[in-house]
Amino acid sequence: MIRLIGLQPTYMPGDTLEFEYRVANVDRGSIVAVECSVCWLTEGKGTEDLGVHFFQRLAGDSLAAIDWSIAQKISCPLPISPLSYEGKLLKISWCVRVRFFLNDGTELMAQQPFYVGTITREV
Amino acid sequence: MSGWWFIGSLGEALFFATVFLIGVFLSAILISWQLMSQSTQPLKIGYGFWLFLGVCLSFSVLGIVGFWYRVLKVVTSDEHREVLAQRGIIPEPLSGPQQPKRTSHAPSIPDVKRFTDSPGARLAYRLPSQIPENGALVALGIFAMAWNAMIAVFLVIAAQNYLRFEIPWQLLLLLIPGIYVAIRSAQLFFRSFIRTLGIGSTTVEIEALPLVPGGEYRLEIVQYGRLVIKKIAVRLECEEESTYHFGTDLRTERQTVFSTEIASHGRDRIDWGYPLRMECRFSVPEDAMHSFQSKHNAVQWKIVVNGEANRWPLYSRSFPVLVYPQPGMSRPAAAS
Repeated sequence: MIRLIGLQPTYMPGDTLEFEYRVANVDRGSIVAVECSVCWLTEGKGTEDLGVHFFQRLAGDSLAAIDWSIAQKISCPLPISPLSYEGKLLKISWCVRVRFFLNDGTELMAQQPFYVGTITREV
Repeated sequence: MSGWWFIGSLGEALFFATVFLIGVFLSAILISWQLMSQSTQPLKIGYGFWLFLGVCLSFSVLGIVGFWYRVLKVVTSDEHREVLAQRGIIPEPLSGPQQPKRTSHAPSIPDVKRFTDSPGARLAYRLPSQIPENGALVALGIFAMAWNAMIAVFLVIAAQNYLRFEIPWQLLLLLIPGIYVAIRSAQLFFRSFIRTLGIGSTTVEIEALPLVPGGEYRLEIVQYGRLVIKKIAVRLECEEESTYHFGTDLRTERQTVFSTEIASHGRDRIDWGYPLRMECRFSVPEDAMHSFQSKHNAVQWKIVVNGEANRWPLYSRSFPVLVYPQPGMSRPAAAS
């Protein structure tokens, strides 16, 4: 589960994005790696593009040191671009993504979208 | 991750691994036969040897790149792969905001230097032009030149045969449509070339770059040439561009999402040394999306000059500009 701490629908460029994530109903010993990222992606007619603004991968010792009973908090400043956008051929959206890799090869993924800027419609 | 996905990924990885092994195996055989054992020399060291070695090495490179691309696609997430592509395979601390390779104040916005490297005569910058007809003209010129050269060679061969009292009927049958295509392509090329020369060049200068939403800017348009202009109109346009795969084709679709006329000029005569000069002011809309460029998608702003002249077809010339996000964008009252 991902929760944006700011609880606001729109973030402005340069704002600090604060969020926390936790995992439930999963054997903690079965988690091999965790990846957490803040990224933008394009949707629409064109091939999907992905830009990663923040990326954190936890595995091995850094993963073993984590207490999963409490939510993991992360904060990162947002860049000035690209802004969220809904056009005719393409849409740019921002999201926080967390992936859990388990030792049986399973991958769990959670995603929380958010807006950057106020241009969420075609000009 | 379906069964087909698993089988497909495994199959592709195996295919590229096999290509790599074949390349390495053949390279090893070639080098060992050629250099280690003097008694068995299947190829002399010359063009044949280097060509065969080049093919073997290209198999190896294709195989290893394809293999690791497939493997990385399976064992890493999309985000991790993107980070590796930015930073390289050598590991670095994998946390914190990503720094793009290019030092740019605004990620995913084209570099402003490309637009500001040409100073203007009256205003600060002369905008780079983007004339689609020029690309077609060059392509047509290359085709016409190559085709005419090929036909000339065949004509010489036919003439030589004729002088030896042998009439090459098959070659003559091929030459008839070939000569028609050669004449038509040369005609088309010179017609386009004369049109480009006759209408003359267009230059656009602007007082500041990059543009920001809500900002007002001065613009000067100069139309050179020797012609009578019926109408010339200048527009500010925003265009979305998406590139996608359609079967084995790579297609690009463009759509104009914003267009406004910022200046126009009626009937006028221009001559060599007396170009048409137009000055105007325009503003970028407050809610404009900034310029954006990613691998397959883009949002592009441009100044478009559309002209109509006596005895010439309509013409259109584009001058890309860069729009940055508004500096100090504040939170709207409704959202707070």
